[in-house]
This record gives sequence, C-alpha cells and structure tokens, in this order.
Amino acid sequence: MGRYILQRFISLIPIVFGISVLVFLILHLVPGNPVLVILGTEATDESVKALTHQLGLDQPLIIQYSRWIGGVLHGDFGVSIRTSADILPELLKRFNVTFQLTVFSILISWIIAIPIGMLSAVKAHSPIDVIARSISMLGISIPNFAIGTLLLLMLSLIFNWFPPLQFANLWDDPATWFKKLILPAITVGIVLAGGLMRMTRSSFMETLDKDFIRTARAKGNSKGQALLHHAFRNSSIPILTLAGMQFGYLLGGSVIIEQLFSIPGLGQYILDGIYHRDYPVVQGGVLFVAIIFVVVNLIVDIIYSKIDPRIKY
Amino acid sequence: MKKSAVLIPMLAISLVFSACSSKSSQGTMADTNKASAPSQLIVAAEQEPVGLDPNKVPAASSKRIYSLVYDTLTVMDNDFNVKPSLADSWTYSEDGKTLTMKLHPGVKFHNGREMTSDDVKYTFTRILDPATGALSKSSFSSIESMDTPDKNTIVFKFKTIDTTFLANATSAFSSIVPKEVADLNKEAVGTGPFMLDKIENGQYVLLKKNPNYFKTDQPKVDSIKFQLMKDESERLAAVRSGAVDLSMVSTESAKLLENSKNIKVTSFLSAEYGYLGMNVAKKPFDDVRVRQAISYALDRNEIANTVYKGQGVPSGPISPALKAFALSVSEFPSYTKNLDKAKQLLKEAGYENGFETVIDTEAMYQDLVDASQVIQQQLQQIGIKATINKMEEAAYVEKWKSKNMTTMVGRNSSGTNPDRSLRFFFSTTGTANVWNYSNKEYDALVQKALETTDEAKRKDLYNQAQKMVVNDAPNVFTASPKIFYAVSDKVQGFNPTAAGEQYALIQASVSGKK
Repeated sequence: MGRYILQRFISLIPIVFGISVLVFLILHLVPGNPVLVILGTEATDESVKALTHQLGLDQPLIIQYSRWIGGVLHGDFGVSIRTSADILPELLKRFNVTFQLTVFSILISWIIAIPIGMLSAVKAHSPIDVIARSISMLGISIPNFAIGTLLLLMLSLIFNWFPPLQFANLWDDPATWFKKLILPAITVGIVLAGGLMRMTRSSFMETLDKDFIRTARAKGNSKGQALLHHAFRNSSIPILTLAGMQFGYLLGGSVIIEQLFSIPGLGQYILDGIYHRDYPVVQGGVLFVAIIFVVVNLIVDIIYSKIDPRIKY
Repeated sequence: MKKSAVLIPMLAISLVFSACSSKSSQGTMADTNKASAPSQLIVAAEQEPVGLDPNKVPAASSKRIYSLVYDTLTVMDNDFNVKPSLADSWTYSEDGKTLTMKLHPGVKFHNGREMTSDDVKYTFTRILDPATGALSKSSFSSIESMDTPDKNTIVFKFKTIDTTFLANATSAFSSIVPKEVADLNKEAVGTGPFMLDKIENGQYVLLKKNPNYFKTDQPKVDSIKFQLMKDESERLAAVRSGAVDLSMVSTESAKLLENSKNIKVTSFLSAEYGYLGMNVAKKPFDDVRVRQAISYALDRNEIANTVYKGQGVPSGPISPALKAFALSVSEFPSYTKNLDKAKQLLKEAGYENGFETVIDTEAMYQDLVDASQVIQQQLQQIGIKATINKMEEAAYVEKWKSKNMTTMVGRNSSGTNPDRSLRFFFSTTGTANVWNYSNKEYDALVQKALETTDEAKRKDLYNQAQKMVVNDAPNVFTASPKIFYAVSDKVQGFNPTAAGEQYALIQASVSGKK
C-alpha cells in the first residue's frame, strides 16, 4: 500500500510537468495581451512598452517559463499581473471556499440520490421507479445555472429573501455559512444527484440479482437487512467512482455557480485570470487544480480497498 | 403518507427562508431605531477593481472607487460645466498660456499630511513622465512647466493655448496624489470624501467616510460598500430583496423593475456611443465612397430601437449627452437612410455587386453583439456580406490596438469635452485613432479649436470637425445608450449623470425606512 501511494506520487511529477508546459504555452499563444487589458484601449505605445518590460513579458518564452516554474518548485507561485497580490495564499483561500461548497453539494446529492436510487432498484419498474427515473433525467437535463437563477429570483420575489452578501467559514459562523451556501449547494447537488441516482439504481439492481443476496435472504435475513448489509457494500464501488470524479471536478471550482451566487471560489479566480490574461494566476491555478484532482483520485482508490478487501494494491 | 413525505421538506425549507427573511427585516428595524447608527450604502459592483492608482488604472471597476478616494483640481457639474474643487479659483494670463490656480487651504490627505502645491506639481510631473505610463499623459502634453510660488499656489505654463485643461483636470485619471506614497496600487491615500477601509478579494471593497473632508457637507453616508456581484440576475434579486441599495442594470432589467415596489429606476443618457469602425488603410475601406455608402445604408433609429430597446438615441462623434457641443444628427446628410445613394456610391467605387467583409466585436457585451447583427442585416441590403467574429475581451483589445483590423463594432466614450471626442479619437496622432485615418485639414481644425478661447468660435470649429469626420466616415457612429440604475427607495439624493457616478454617490444618503 505505502509503495503504491509512493508510486502514485511519483507519477504526479510528469503529469504536473506536462500540465505546466501546456498551460504556459496555450496561454502565451492565444491572442490577447495582459498589458493591453490592464492599460485599456487608450494606452499610449510608450506606456505599453514600459509595462511589458516591467512585467518581464518582453523576455523569450523559455526564460519566462523557467523563471515561473523555478519559483513554483520553491513554493513561490508569483504575484498576479493585475493586482500584484501573492497568488498562493489567494489560491488556498479560494480553495477553502470551494472545498466547503463542494462537500456541502456532494452531501446534498448523496442525501437525494442514494436513498431514491436504492428505492428505485428495489421497486424496479414500479411507478415509484418510473417517477424517480424521470426526476433524475430532469436533474441531468436542466443546466445548473437555470436552477440557480430560478431559485434566487423566486426566493427574492416571494419571500423577499436574499443570501448573505459575505461568505463565512463553517467554523466561524455556521448560520451565515448555511444561508450563503444552501442555494448553490442545492443547485449543484440536484444536478449531481441525477447521474448519481441512475448509477445507484443500476449498480444495486445488478447486485440484487446476485446469488449471495438470494443466499442471504434464504438464511432468514429480512429484505432490508439484505439490502443494507449485503448489497450496499457490494454496490458502492461504481457509485464511489462517480462521486469521486464529481468531487475532484467540483474542487476545480464551479464557475457558473460561483458567479451566480457571488462565492469567492477557485473557479471565479481562475476564470478572471483567463479573461485578463493574468498568466501567473491561470498557470498557478490550473497547476493547483491538477494536483488536487490527482490527489482526490488517489484517495478514492485507497477508499476502494477499504470498502472492498478484494481490491489490493 | 407519500404526499406528506414530499410536503414536509418543502414546508421546512420555506419556513427556514421565511424565518431568515423576517430576522433580517427585524435587523434593519433595530438599526433605524438608533438614530445615530452609522449609515451604509451598498452598491452592487459588476467587476472587481484591479488596483487603485488613479493615474495608471483605467478599469471602470477601479475608477468608480478611486474617484471617491481622491480629489481633482476641478470637477464637473451635471451640465458639464467646470467647477472648483481642490483649486478654489484660477486666472489665465493675457496670452492664455499661463494659468495660476489657488488651492483650497488646509486640505489634508488621509494620512494626515496637508496637501500643497508640491503635490499638484508632483502629480502632473508623474502623469507626464513616460515611465509612469499614465492614461491622461496625452491630455496634458501642452504643459511646458509648473511653478509653486507658495504652498497654496500652482502656476501652469503651456506650450500652446489649451482650452481643455480645466475640463481634463476633472478626470479621475488626473487625481492629485501624495508624493510620499511609492506604490499607489498597494496604498490608497487621497484627499477625497471616502477612505479605503478594506478590500476583500472576490467579495467587496469597503470605503468609510473621511471625517476631515474639506467639503464639510459631504459625503452623506458613513460608508459605502461595493459588493461584487457579477451576474445580472443576482444583482436583480439583490436589489429586489433589499440586500443591496443600488445597482446598474441592463435596459431589459430596468423594464422588469419599473413596477416593483421599493425600487425606483433612474437613468441618464450616456456619454458613450456605438460605432462601426473601418480600417481606412485596407481595401475596400480605403475608398471614402465605400465608407459613405455604409453610412447611408445604416438605419440608426432601428439600431437605437432594437439594440437599446427604444432607449437609445442616434449619435454623432460627440454623444448628445454633451449638449453644449454635440451637433444635431439632422446636420449629417448620411444619417438619413438612403439605399439608392448608398448603392450609387458603391458603384462609383467599383463595388457594384458589394463585397464580403468581417466585423469583429466583443462577445462579453450583448449590445455590441446585437448591434453587429443589425448592422450585418442592414449592410446586406447594399450587397455587403459581413461575417461577425465575436471575440473575447483580451483578444478584442489586442486587435483594436493593432491598427490591422478590417472592421470592428464597439462602444467608445466621447468623454466630457469635445477635444477628447474629436482630437483624441480621430486626429492623425490621436492616441485612440487606430483606424489609420489621417486628414490634415481635420488635424488643423481640431488643433485650432483647442487653442481658441472664444467660446462661439470654438464651437463653430468643433461643428465643422464633426461634419468632416462624419463625412469622411472612418467610423460610422450609431447610437448612444442610456444607463440605468435600480435604486432602493431607502436611498435619497442619488441622481447620476454622464458627468460621473462619483458626484451622485457623494450626494446620496440612506434612510432606514423600508
């Protein structure tokens, strides 16, 4: 196990290196120039030249890259071109927000999807199943910004309610935290639940057909016991795979939701960076997200072996 | 049984929300009961500020903040007349080339130090230094030297007569900054009505009242919070529910809000105008007849009606908002749609069957995309087939600056004085003349206007220049939009105009009544 984890961490090195080169090249090769974005359409040629030089953007690409990656290897992600604020502290701050939203959203999706998915499987092809499947289809089909906008406008119109303006950490101010995040978490949760519900249903249906379930029932276990003790663990691997992917994906920041509900998360930060061609912010941000994604996948793999002892590394 | 399983959670959720809302209204009630409770104005901000150095940062999101933190020598009133601010009074010499300004005595920067003529001299030296990369450098290129005979007197000597100096000095880009602060993006130290209290990245900017402000009756509120809300529907919901006090809204949203309780919608005609710009150095736009044909083919009323939902006004090179100088569009022959004339001009230029071209526009602004589509359809009527290329802001700006575009649909601010509208955008050496347009006669005309102190003569010169640039048509000007604000009825005295939002914010007050 320890060796496996080490191997996985070593495999991170080429991935991260590859990503760093790719992001750097893509950013520098697409049209758009951060200096012009900063100075605006009215800038004079000399001010453009002065700022380009000051930011070191007149250096050859290879030098710019090695400067940046050298800094990153020393834990220095550099400063934003636009705001000259340090990037790493900002990334961590934003990640903290995105992480809390992600966990909340995933929880909501589980609360919705797993019980209903199980019920659907047990009562397969019954009216309950049909309704549940239709609802999950709806969850998959409606774009999340539509749900979010609808929730926000309806609540403000009907209940005259609007989420708090500021984000607060769960541990600092749980009430504000809840009010700020409940709508985005429901919005994201509903969309995730759609896919997860279908995965839960099919995975359970497959397990329920297995011989060991019949054996468990034959031993005198009730239907519920068989479902919870015998089927649950055996069905959970595909569900966990999907949930793990959703989790990793969300940790990269859900741009639209963050924008709609003014949540100062990672997605907003990186997107702003892209708009303004804030090279170090985007480079650092994407690298950061890539590392997180790989680590989350590793954690999911480790959990597999805990749930299913047959899986060994 | 099954019904209740669905109903109970729904009921619970609605209870939570109604509980929350009643709690928050109790909160505001309690606030109003305390008469001396600090008043806060909450403004929805579409974008985050990107640094607060007034001499260097052009972004509108930054400008709306630093124009409250800093002061300028002069200010504009709502009719674009120049009024005193940091400069109490001024006199010009006989030849019009020397300007002596008396500064308001005893004005203090937020760090407590008294502002003197040395700071004024420092600021303009900073603006004129190429290494600063200041935005208004070209506006002040006529300054030859400055003198500071005493701490409250500053004397400007000009190379040529510059009739726009006092108007240019109202720009927040020429805010007076203290000489001891090295990096004004890290520290904001002005003399203005508000002091920077806190910036929370990605969330808000908080300004608090400057208790020692030299205009003792301003500002009216104890603090202003610019709350970041990038999404229009979020801003709408926030204004409706009273979570923010005022927000800029789109024309469509303004219509939606017209009949809402507790909200009033105020608007003003913007100093901006939409345009179709053509690269005069590129075929077929190097032929003035082609450009004129396009001008005759466009129906500006249709653009004003569809793009700006009937709230726009056809505009020439100076937005009609600048009443004193904008020539009525009826003075421009090509503003009357005339397809026969347009086709005739195209034929003379050798493009009887039209041609294909590209319109670059900025995808982020819906009005520009809409305008491109209307223009595309209107050009089809004279055989010009245009493809629209929607670009992202960074790429668009780069193309705009490259002077190598084909045609572009955009929006410019014609500014608060005609020199900016005409010389800055269309003289051969104008900073924003990216169209390769060059007309010696025009250059001489706007330069002469700049040096003409007689108001009537000056206006006449600017009239000629407007006609000339419309006739030469490096840009085909379309319409000026209206700017809409949704304002909570708790807010009094907020009357924004094209002169500048900051003047309205300083006068705004908030009462507790809901």
